[in-house]
Amino acid sequence: MNAVDGTDRAGAHNDAEPPSLLTIILDTNPHAWSLLADSLPLSQAIANLLVFINAHLAINHANKVAVVASHSERAEWLYPTPTQPGQEAADLNGTFEPEGNGTSGGVNGNLGGPVKPLDDANKYRPFAQLEHALLSNLRKLMDTTTVDAISSVPSTMMAGALTRALAYISKQTAAHPGATANSHFNYSDPSSIAGGNDLSANNGSGSATLGLTTRILIVSVSGDLADKYIEIMNSIFACQRLGISIDVLKLAGDTVFLQQAADTTGGIYMSLDANSRAGFLQYLMFAYLPDQTARNHLIVPGEQEGVDFRAACFCHKRVIDIGYVCSICLSIFCEPLADGNCLLCGSHLTMTNFGQRPAVIPKKKKKKKKTLEGSVGSPSSGHATPIPG
Amino acid sequence: MADSDPEYDEHGSDDDVDMNINGTGKGRSMASRSKPQAKWEGGVSRDWELEGALDGNLEGVLGGIEEAQKRKRLLKDTTPLQRGIIRHTLLVLDLSTAMNEKDLRPTRHFLTINYAIMFIREYFEQNPISQLGILGMRDGLAIRVSDLSGNPTEHINAVKELRGTEPKGNPSLQNALDMSRAALHHTPSHGTREVVIILGALLTSDPGDIHETIKACVKDRVRVRIIGLAAQMHICAEICRKTNSGDENYYNVAVDEVDYKQQFLEITTPPVLRSTDSEAQKRNQAALLMMGFPSRIVEETATLCACHGTLTRGGYLCSRCKAKVCNLPATCPTCDLTLILSTHLARSYHHLFPLRNWIEVPWSRASQKASTTCHGCLTPFPAIPASAPEQDVPRPKRAPGASESSRYECENCQNHFCIDCDVFCHEVVHNCPGCQSTAHLPGREQCAGAGS
Repeated sequence: MNAVDGTDRAGAHNDAEPPSLLTIILDTNPHAWSLLADSLPLSQAIANLLVFINAHLAINHANKVAVVASHSERAEWLYPTPTQPGQEAADLNGTFEPEGNGTSGGVNGNLGGPVKPLDDANKYRPFAQLEHALLSNLRKLMDTTTVDAISSVPSTMMAGALTRALAYISKQTAAHPGATANSHFNYSDPSSIAGGNDLSANNGSGSATLGLTTRILIVSVSGDLADKYIEIMNSIFACQRLGISIDVLKLAGDTVFLQQAADTTGGIYMSLDANSRAGFLQYLMFAYLPDQTARNHLIVPGEQEGVDFRAACFCHKRVIDIGYVCSICLSIFCEPLADGNCLLCGSHLTMTNFGQRPAVIPKKKKKKKKTLEGSVGSPSSGHATPIPG
Repeated sequence: MADSDPEYDEHGSDDDVDMNINGTGKGRSMASRSKPQAKWEGGVSRDWELEGALDGNLEGVLGGIEEAQKRKRLLKDTTPLQRGIIRHTLLVLDLSTAMNEKDLRPTRHFLTINYAIMFIREYFEQNPISQLGILGMRDGLAIRVSDLSGNPTEHINAVKELRGTEPKGNPSLQNALDMSRAALHHTPSHGTREVVIILGALLTSDPGDIHETIKACVKDRVRVRIIGLAAQMHICAEICRKTNSGDENYYNVAVDEVDYKQQFLEITTPPVLRSTDSEAQKRNQAALLMMGFPSRIVEETATLCACHGTLTRGGYLCSRCKAKVCNLPATCPTCDLTLILSTHLARSYHHLFPLRNWIEVPWSRASQKASTTCHGCLTPFPAIPASAPEQDVPRPKRAPGASESSRYECENCQNHFCIDCDVFCHEVVHNCPGCQSTAHLPGREQCAGAGS
């Protein structure tokens, strides 16, 4: 179009840096954080995370942040604050925009209105609002966590947090004024239908510069997500289709699936040990602050490592590297099925050649035995003949 | 319709007897589907005469229609059916002169190529460990466009090269079927064998008896689907009926571009297995396959890979024998274990565990739950009317399928969602944000409470 009439319409549009929505999923599993209390307590991690969030907001005035807590028995929003049933729906709108005035703490019956206790002249207003909302929501989350809940569920709701984050991202992307048909998922657009392929993934990164760019950062502390394997994989593929990269910063534990998530969606995966954990903020600022376009020009950490592609079996939720796959429904099992019926689709399965020894070895042995017997027999006869001879 | 194929007369008269012309054009409006009629035959849509717009409030009515349309795609059957996920499909494109017609813009040929590329991407998205091959029908011959393989890039490049070629001659269904049968001959018995034919012409010029070929296809368990671009043909209906054990839904004629695309993309959903098929499968042993999920490694120095014997830095180590292969999926050259990326398998799991449809929420239920924002994306809902809605003035009727309160409820977790999240969760994520984000589902707790 520009070439045809000699005008440069896109020029003005591209000057402004595209706003970026950073969605942080914070694993707040109390079990795991209590184990980390020596090297990196939760309070310090939150303080570091707030510095990181402020840095992200400071890069571009239109940048946005959303924080989801993946707690032990539920996933909750930390920022923006969800409206409680008793509250007005209207004061929620303001919380999306950092520069909006309508941010409400959303707790202690603080209905609507700007956040009063935090009008500190020395602090950039969006920072203060976000900090207050995040901290009070987190405190509320911790306060409402019962002892029973912690003792019954030792894991974290990562799949739920991811799904909620994705629903929010999809809505924000669609609602963004700069959103074009390319930049958000359009159900009737052929290229976006198959966004997961390599070809269209390239298209996605090009067109994403027009609208809101989105990414997800997972700060994970707990291991073992195997019981939510399918749900997590579903969310990962959704991210891949939408062109959202998942960055993972692993503070403790080992989850195979988050590494696969980062690899599949083109994000960064880093795992910190006890020594490097103290440098949490430094890792955040140096590895995770640059957005997708900037990363093209940087040496990205984590590329020098392999990726663990193991899967979880459907029967015992074990993480395995050799499994048995039903040829009808592709379910994975960790051991051969007892009655030979697939647990999911019920079809009768035969083990084709499992447990069958490779046929070559016994045959060879037999042959050798035969030849040995033969050779045993022949020398005797051989012995017999020369002696008389 | 006859002038859609100018070479028809020449060829028909020149060639000898064994050229069977099986086509009978019936006209477009006789499409096999229950589609009412083509666009120009349809009645005038009187959008301005919407019911319920008496009070001058259009928003409720129009919003309802939009939401209903969005949901229409979703409200499909969610009962899990057994699907043939390891598919082997051959896509047969018509490259005969009939494809020069401009009734589908820009031409049938270019549109088919564009849709075929789209189809290839979506096919591998939906069926990650399936195989696809592409054939063409040109000049009475079946030509090979790309071989049966699992690599979408290869197919897309091959189809893109067709753009530079001209459609020519007549198509031959028999040759195409024979070639696809041969190409599918070696495929393992636990997969499906499908042929998808895009036919623009209204004839097929075959060298022999096509009925013999159909019989052979039935014997080989090859299932044929045909999308016609012009009109219905008896022979196509017969091919599809016979190869799909009497089911007549596999032959359709595209009415317009949108319909064409929809029909084309429908094929990407794995086909339902029939009981006769599963009997055949039992005979052919549905197998439990042993597979390895190797991890990727990166090495300091280059080493030889076991599959090609070339020097590579990194690759995948076989989970059983630790031999290095450079690409997946593969069969370990040393110990013969099938190696696959677990992400390939996991892509198709949402077919196995479909997300249940969410139900519409009436105002009474909405006020009972007092939901103000969507549980997924935090978008505020329209406010609940203060008065009890039952004895009120009759509310403007919403389009069927749309919820009067703009809320949709997941029956498992009893959370309310907006229409966008409804569509998004069922089409893209295949997870329910509510069910996944709580360990205590209200439905289950009630059951537990009743039990104890």
